[in-house]
Amino acid sequence: MAYCVQCGVKLAEGVPVCPLCNTPVVLPPTMVEQQSEPLFPKPLGQPKTGGVTKVRKGIIELTVSLAVVSILAVGLSLGLSGLGRYTFIPTFSIAMATTTLVVSLLSKPTYVRQATIALIGIGLLVIGIDLGDLSLSWSPIAAMALPVLWIVAVAPATAMKRQRILPLLIFAVLLYLLVINLTVSGELTWFWPVALPTVVVFILLAILLILFLTKRKGSIIPLADVVLATMVVLFGSISALDLFLTGYQRGFFALRWSTSLLWTALVVLLFLLAITCSRRLRRYFTSHVNHT
Amino acid sequence: MRRAIKSHTPEGFIALDNSALIYPPTEAAFSTNTFRLSVDLGVEVNTEILRQAAHELLDRCPYAKVRLRTGFFWHYLSPNEAEIPIWEEGSYPAGRFDFKGNNHYLLKIIHGPRRIAIECFHALTDGSGALAYFKLLLARYCALASIGDGTFADGLCYTSRPEETEFSDPFQELYDRTIRPFPSVSRAYHRKGEGGRSEAVKVIRAQVAVGEIKRRAKARSLTIGEYLSAVYLMSLQELQAQEGKEGRRRRPIRLSVPVNLRRIFARETMRNFTLFVLVSIDPALGWYSFDEIAGQVRLQMAQAVEQKQLLSQIRRNVGGERSAALRFAPTILKNPLFKLLSDTLGDQQYSGVISNLGLVSFPAALSPLVEAMDFHLSPGLVNPVSIAVVGYHDSLAINFTSYEDYDTALERLFCTFLVEDGIAVSVASNRGV
Repeated sequence: MAYCVQCGVKLAEGVPVCPLCNTPVVLPPTMVEQQSEPLFPKPLGQPKTGGVTKVRKGIIELTVSLAVVSILAVGLSLGLSGLGRYTFIPTFSIAMATTTLVVSLLSKPTYVRQATIALIGIGLLVIGIDLGDLSLSWSPIAAMALPVLWIVAVAPATAMKRQRILPLLIFAVLLYLLVINLTVSGELTWFWPVALPTVVVFILLAILLILFLTKRKGSIIPLADVVLATMVVLFGSISALDLFLTGYQRGFFALRWSTSLLWTALVVLLFLLAITCSRRLRRYFTSHVNHT
Repeated sequence: MRRAIKSHTPEGFIALDNSALIYPPTEAAFSTNTFRLSVDLGVEVNTEILRQAAHELLDRCPYAKVRLRTGFFWHYLSPNEAEIPIWEEGSYPAGRFDFKGNNHYLLKIIHGPRRIAIECFHALTDGSGALAYFKLLLARYCALASIGDGTFADGLCYTSRPEETEFSDPFQELYDRTIRPFPSVSRAYHRKGEGGRSEAVKVIRAQVAVGEIKRRAKARSLTIGEYLSAVYLMSLQELQAQEGKEGRRRRPIRLSVPVNLRRIFARETMRNFTLFVLVSIDPALGWYSFDEIAGQVRLQMAQAVEQKQLLSQIRRNVGGERSAALRFAPTILKNPLFKLLSDTLGDQQYSGVISNLGLVSFPAALSPLVEAMDFHLSPGLVNPVSIAVVGYHDSLAINFTSYEDYDTALERLFCTFLVEDGIAVSVASNRGV
């Protein structure tokens, strides 16, 4: 029978450490202890985790019961006042909000999981409301925006590789534009002549400027250069949109309202090239005074 | 004249007693509302005999042969004709109750190779009630296994018929709406353990000699229960001080001590008839020495178990049940509200629970076979360590049940205090096995 040297308590025979303080039991070399019977006969498994705690269970039950009461109240009041045909949207909205809340309460409280559940819930709600008259009209536009939002706001927090997010985003944006065109016009009209070339111009400009910023001398890319490069990409892409839109609407390619933007983009681009080539010029625009 | 023999068997709708109302709605992960009583015997347990003993227990106590149902306004009990299962003992005690697996019984009969245990969902009865069931189960087991006469002197008589008082709810009888309800209590100190928690109930069992602890308690004019409460308060005070919070910002340390009302009000019910009295110290006033804590515990316990104080608590509890808002609210609304408010109105008011069942005297035939007895209380999320105490032979088993995976600071302080006070403590655990 050993005693813990830290706590002074008598320990059960054969235990390797004191259960109170984890101090190892060191026996004299000649002393051998029998293993005492464990407190509980079965070998211990992994401690069980999970399950819904009291407070979380309470919130879920309260949400569900309030939803049931609300659905009954809305259904009865609309039904009894002869407006039964309008019951679907409010009751469906309550049911969807409840389901989303319950699922999110039952899931792990991580940003990725909760944000994904919220976006799926919103998507189903939007499609469901639109399907109230048994036809899909506007909801694909709203619903398709959600995957794009997921790629922008949630994907970076997942284990997904960063290099895959940008191509995925471009693909999702193109798909979104295609869906808008199909939903609004019933067929592909402006997607091929306007949207696709504009996106291509945007991608090309972005790749060129990224290469320009990363391949030039010096390892540091100043924030000002990033801002200016972004301006060039955006203004250039908007000018391309104007060009392709005019071509689609009028049959000839010309700039109508974006000339000033294109000139601005060119001036900024020239400025970027100049400060890259001339260190003196860069220094002229750069403060060396530390404002502490 | 012939007298009809009355056998009071509950039928149909059986309302939960006032104390039990809170347990079914608040049952959840980390809030199991269960407890366990067990006896280690010197002989192998025969499962078939135990099954027969369980049948006879339920025949004698029809009010335990019930299942929990959810009604429109309240949870209620109704007779259960299903077979009561006998469970092989698992790794952790006082876990979440598997109602369906247990054929909806609120009483779980468990056996190990040489252990008989019952686990009880609190809606059925309290510790003393469960001890009465357990005594009858052991007595029937002894009789059927030809061990001898295992009838406990203070236990239920198997041959007598159940009386109406056995399943009455004395809280309703003692309710007096004319007295002032018990005042509400502020939030108490809660220890934040380190190293995570899991649902498995980890046990540290400290065993001490009754004679030694009685001597140390008597030296301070305390009972054993009061002495252990004082040690618990002392340990919590040290843990709070270690957290380094400025003195005046320290919350009061309170213990919830269940008090068996059967003797105080002379009622022999087999349902819940326990109230929780609070004993506390206020560390914002400064450091308390052990003798000061002992004085506080003695004084507060004496005041708390006065009939007038207890009746005031009953007035508050039953008054709540009888309020129109609660009475006519449907269960689907009451259930979540109970869950959300139970911490504020219950667990948050105290820093720990210590339940003492007292000394169990075994009958002569059974006594030599009993090697150990244990009492385990399920802990909670707000107070993740509970203490349950039971005495047998000349030993006292102090069981610490905890959801903390690694943190044993409270148990260590408690046991080392006993050692420093001159009491030899033997420790065993299911941690790290």
